[in-house]
Amino acid sequence: MGSGDVILVIVVVTALAFDFTNGFHDTANAIATSVSTRAMSPRFAVAMSAVLNFAGAFISLKVAATVGSGIVDSGAVTTTVVFAGLVGAIAWNIATWWAGLPSSSSHALIGGLIGSAFAADGASVINVDGIIETVLVPAAVAPLLAFSVAAMAIFIIYRLVGNLRPGPVNHGYRLGQIVTGSMFSLAHGTNDAQKTMGIITLALIAHGNLPSDSFDVPFWVIASSATAIALGTYIGGWRIIRTMGSKIIKMDPAQGFATQGAGAAVVLTASHLGFPLSTTHVISGGVMGAGAAKRLSAVRWGVAGNIAIAWVLTLPAAAIIGALVYGFTSLFGSGAVGPLVVVIVLLGLLVAALARRFVANHQVAPAR
Amino acid sequence: MIAAIDTGKLFELVWASALAGVAVAICFSLVIIGAARAEDCRRNRRSGSATAYATLSVLAGLAFLGIAVFGITVITAK
Repeated sequence: MGSGDVILVIVVVTALAFDFTNGFHDTANAIATSVSTRAMSPRFAVAMSAVLNFAGAFISLKVAATVGSGIVDSGAVTTTVVFAGLVGAIAWNIATWWAGLPSSSSHALIGGLIGSAFAADGASVINVDGIIETVLVPAAVAPLLAFSVAAMAIFIIYRLVGNLRPGPVNHGYRLGQIVTGSMFSLAHGTNDAQKTMGIITLALIAHGNLPSDSFDVPFWVIASSATAIALGTYIGGWRIIRTMGSKIIKMDPAQGFATQGAGAAVVLTASHLGFPLSTTHVISGGVMGAGAAKRLSAVRWGVAGNIAIAWVLTLPAAAIIGALVYGFTSLFGSGAVGPLVVVIVLLGLLVAALARRFVANHQVAPAR
Repeated sequence: MIAAIDTGKLFELVWASALAGVAVAICFSLVIIGAARAEDCRRNRRSGSATAYATLSVLAGLAFLGIAVFGITVITAK
């Protein structure tokens, strides 16, 4: 096995690790509203979401092609560039998960890739038109569209069922949330797992395993990406679920239904059209829309503002980390040593963080 | 910058999402209205109205499931 093969293996494993963080980071998108309105038990919601994320990953490959080919010049993409970009995305995902902020894993991935490609070859390899079309425009449109659709939906719902007894209405929308939550999980799988598929395929093209004139995703890439996102979803990200499910608005079942229905409609349509939308932006916009349509003051705008700041920072922050990681790996030359050192350092940090947490959880209270 | 934006696709995203989201909300609300009203009518022994509301509920439920199935079909037809 040559040095290039070692880097490729590291890239594939890192990409699957990113996919896993995407699953546990974005689980909140699919199930937070169902859990907070008690439409489903947390365990059932997470299991259902994991299965549907897995299934969704097999359904469509349009977004994978967009992510793989539209952001940076494919000729400039090396396996080390992809690796550094992935590390940038994973680092930002973990940082925002730690803070309980629902940021976009898609933008973290794209930002990381832009940063590492920029550090490797300069600004000329960045496809600005591609970034505008596939990142910036959807980033602006997704939350506004979901906000509007969810607001319209809840406005109509309250007018239609407002004079009925609340008991059957709440029970009915909780049942409806099982369908809309399932649809949203499926939509999440069709949209998000494909980003990892796109990145792995890009690395395989860069390494010469696949022809550069077409963008065919191998089956093993689809299966492994689907498995990684489903596992991440099953393990779940309870910090973000709390933010999404109860900190932005106090949600009733009708609002949960409207949010998930609007979110699924927006993400499924976007996936069909090949727009790599952020499911995080969509569902956050939907939650705020469902709250604001009931009463503007129902939305905790301070929390919404923190989320918006995380959104804006995601792309540049991941790009900076991606560029720094590329710079660090290039100190060790173009072989596998640089990526291996980064992986060892990251694993060391992860073990240290887990150990610290374990110690904190098992500390005995001092005797009085 | 404008050249980079496929406005046709963007417009399609806006209207199709809005239509689907609102249609889902209306259909499922009609399911709940039909079921709740049918129950009230049954309790008041108005069997004709109860049947009509129950029919509305079933039809709206089928439309709701139809939209969900259509959504999956659109995605799988690549």
